[in-house]
Amino acid sequence: MSEENWIEVGSTDSIEEEDLIRFDHQDKTFCVYKLTDGFYATDGICTHEAVHLEDGLVMDDEIECPMHQGIFNIKSGEALSPPACEDLKTYPVKVDNDKIFIKID
Amino acid sequence: MKNNIIILGGGQAGIYAAREIRQNDSKSNIKILGEENLLPYERPPLSKDFLLDKKKAEDLYFHSSDVLKNENIEFENISINKVDFENKKLFANNDNVYSYDSLLISTGSENKKLTLDNNLKNDIYYLRNLEEAKKIKEIVSNKNKITIIGGGFIGLEIASSLSQLQKKVIVIEIGNQLMGRVIPKQIADLVQNTHIEHGNEIILNKQIEKITKKNDDYEILLNDNSLIETDFIIAGIGSTPTVKLFENTNLKLDNGIVTNQFCETSIKDVYAAGDVSNFYHPFYERNMRLESYQHAQNHGICAGKNIAGVKTEYTSIPWMWSDQFNLNLQLTGICDEYDEIIERGNDINNGVIYFFLKNNKIRGACGVGVIGKVGRDIRITSKLTEKDTIVDKQILSDQNLKLNKLIQK
Repeated sequence: MSEENWIEVGSTDSIEEEDLIRFDHQDKTFCVYKLTDGFYATDGICTHEAVHLEDGLVMDDEIECPMHQGIFNIKSGEALSPPACEDLKTYPVKVDNDKIFIKID
Repeated sequence: MKNNIIILGGGQAGIYAAREIRQNDSKSNIKILGEENLLPYERPPLSKDFLLDKKKAEDLYFHSSDVLKNENIEFENISINKVDFENKKLFANNDNVYSYDSLLISTGSENKKLTLDNNLKNDIYYLRNLEEAKKIKEIVSNKNKITIIGGGFIGLEIASSLSQLQKKVIVIEIGNQLMGRVIPKQIADLVQNTHIEHGNEIILNKQIEKITKKNDDYEILLNDNSLIETDFIIAGIGSTPTVKLFENTNLKLDNGIVTNQFCETSIKDVYAAGDVSNFYHPFYERNMRLESYQHAQNHGICAGKNIAGVKTEYTSIPWMWSDQFNLNLQLTGICDEYDEIIERGNDINNGVIYFFLKNNKIRGACGVGVIGKVGRDIRITSKLTEKDTIVDKQILSDQNLKLNKLIQK
């Protein structure tokens, strides 16, 4: 695990609890979430149709796509409700000195 | 106990019911009888990504044949032409007879057809199934000026797709607004503006008097004596529940098959779900018939539970969407019973939502915006509706205030 793969997203207070922010890096887009037990990250685009999940609804451990209500588990990326059937990719997250980092492979 | 369960109708409600039954009942035989020689597939992309070649036919199946095989769900392509509810038998057009202990009817709905001279019947196209979508896709590639009769969801989605394929599109609607059956005029007008901005012509308040074929083209005469020349005609003028098979039986029909909140019909061991069912909704305390993706899925699941003996009320708050150009339109609940309307936002780029309230509680809402801009708020609205929450109207009307503040945990 090389250190340079950890990318700084922002400060821990940039996300409200049970909410998310969008984070773009190079040509990819990610969503970074603050849940009650910590920070998580997934791909930023729904696997059903190419729509940004940044406008989706975070409830408990789930993100719901704003376009067609496909639901994913934020921690595992599992597609929980149709029309989404393909899982969402997830990424490791760490917090260091009140800053959030995600590990992009 | 091992039962024979037959699901008549191979659409979305049918497949979701089948899988739900299997979740709760590992022993019974489950057989889906479908009129199309295709496993159940998603219909929403037919008017959009399929026409635009962004999705292929094979991308549309809900589940692969392996899933059905693993769950021991049989699918048979067959047309049933007689039902004997008393002896619990279905008769097929090839003389096969199917006996059931429990029957789910999920035959869906079918397109209303224009009343026309017989010699024009094959000239007007309709879109409901994959076969029809394939035909339209093939033929429009050689057409330039296309007329769509009916300004409802299907007509407008096709209009949006054909415009994106650089076709000249004319939409003729008999009513004084687009999507008039369920969408508030304020929202319909925003959608109409987007069509016009993309070059589509929208004609409201006009009836068709006559269609005349001129070589390979057509002339459409409207009731104001104006004439439209066109080289292809698609009609989307609504649908009716597919109930012909049951018309001379004891099954209670009234705008579809009448069911209670448990998907039970007037005949014991016979259930109905999806578009074909006029069901009792306990939250709204009335019967309704819905034609939507979410309803077909959830109503099928609810029927599946009840057939498997898990008594479950159907309480889903209705929800549907339509995608046209870069817009996503969403509707939740019922927007025709209200004493107050509240508007949230006024710019389609940030999303515009109209809430319909009765006694300070939301009964329904309709919103439209650039893709992604109304979904979260509409979803929260469904939850607020379901929980019968008395809402803070200040928060509803101010787009700078987040709606999730209204959800009581």
